[in-house]
Amino acid sequence: MLRFDATQLVLRHAGDSPVVGNLGPTSDELYHAGHRDRNFYTYGSMGLCSSIALGMAVSTDDKVISLDGDGSLLMNLGAIATIGREKPENLVVVVWDNEAWGQTGGQPSHTATNTNLEEVAQSCGIAKTTTVGDLETLEEAFGRAMNEPGPWFIVAKIEEAEEYMPVAPVEPEFTLYRFRNTYVG
Amino acid sequence: MPWAETIVDTLKKWDTSLIAYVPDISIDRVTSIIDADPFFHLVSCTREEEAIGVAVGSYAVGRNAAVFMQSSGFGNSINGIASLCLPARTPIPIFMNLRGQVGEFNIAQVAMGRNTTPILDLFGIAHYTIESEDRMDTLLDGVMKLCHAHRNPVAICMTPMLHGGKIA
Repeated sequence: MLRFDATQLVLRHAGDSPVVGNLGPTSDELYHAGHRDRNFYTYGSMGLCSSIALGMAVSTDDKVISLDGDGSLLMNLGAIATIGREKPENLVVVVWDNEAWGQTGGQPSHTATNTNLEEVAQSCGIAKTTTVGDLETLEEAFGRAMNEPGPWFIVAKIEEAEEYMPVAPVEPEFTLYRFRNTYVG
Repeated sequence: MPWAETIVDTLKKWDTSLIAYVPDISIDRVTSIIDADPFFHLVSCTREEEAIGVAVGSYAVGRNAAVFMQSSGFGNSINGIASLCLPARTPIPIFMNLRGQVGEFNIAQVAMGRNTTPILDLFGIAHYTIESEDRMDTLLDGVMKLCHAHRNPVAICMTPMLHGGKIA
C-alpha cells in the first residue's frame, strides 16, 4: 500500500475534519492528495504530530485525524500514553508505518524488529486499535473510526513511493492561521 | 492576592482554559487549583515538548492554551518551541519554576536552570522572572497582552522567592 494512495483514501472519508500531517513526505503527500484549509501540515517538531492532534481533540467536538509516522511516534511514545489517559472519543491516530526512517536513508526503525505500536497503544488503554496492510482493510477501519467513538489507533503498514513528491509550500504561520480561521473566523 | 490565585485569575481573564503541563512540586499549588476548576481542562503530559504540541493544537482550533513546567524540562521542549511555536507564531504563555536559583540543593539542576533565560534570549522569547507578589497581577496581565499581540510564546519564570521553595 503506497502512502499517497492511503492518504487519498483518508481524505475521501475525512469530511471537514482537521487532518494533522507529520513532517516531511506525509505532509507533502497530504498537500498533493487534496489541499484544504483544515490540513495542518507540520514542518518540524518531529514527534509532536499526534500531540498537536490531541490538543485539537480536547478543544473541539470535531473528529480530529493525525497522520503520524513510526519514526516520529517512536520519538515521543509518551504521546500514546497521554492519549490513553485523556481518551478523547473524537481522535483518530493513523500511523503510516514503513518500518524505517525514510527520509534519512531508509534505516530500519524499531517497528522493523520488536516494537509493535498497536500493542503499545493497547497497553496505554486505547481499546480501538488495528493494524492494516492494504487499502481495503484501511478503508474499513478508517470508516469505522470516523463513525464510532474512539480514540482510535490505526497502524497502516505502507511503502514509500520510488520518488518523493514536491515539497508542500513551507509556510507554518500561514498554515496555522488559515486552519485557525476556520474555527474563529 | 496570593501568586497562585493571581495566575489563575489572569488565565481566566485571557480566556486561556487549556493547560498542558508536566507536574512540578513548586507550581503544584497553581495546577491543583486549575485541576479542581471546571473552567479549565488540564492535560498531564509525559514530557514538556509534548505539552507544547498539545497547547499549539488547542490554539489552532480556537482555544487559548498555556504550558506549565519546570526549567529542567524547558530543555526537553526546545525543538517544539523552535520548530513549531516560533515559525507558526503561536501565543503560548509558558509558566515555569526556575531551578538553579538561590537555595538550589541539587548540582544537577543548576546548569539548565541558570541557562534557561539566556537560551530564551537566544530565541528572542520574551521572559519575565517573578520573585514577588507585588504588582504581579499587573505584570501578568501585560505579559499576556504582549504574548497575544506578538503572537509568540512568552516565559514567566517563578523562583523560590515567589513560590516559597526552601531557600536556606
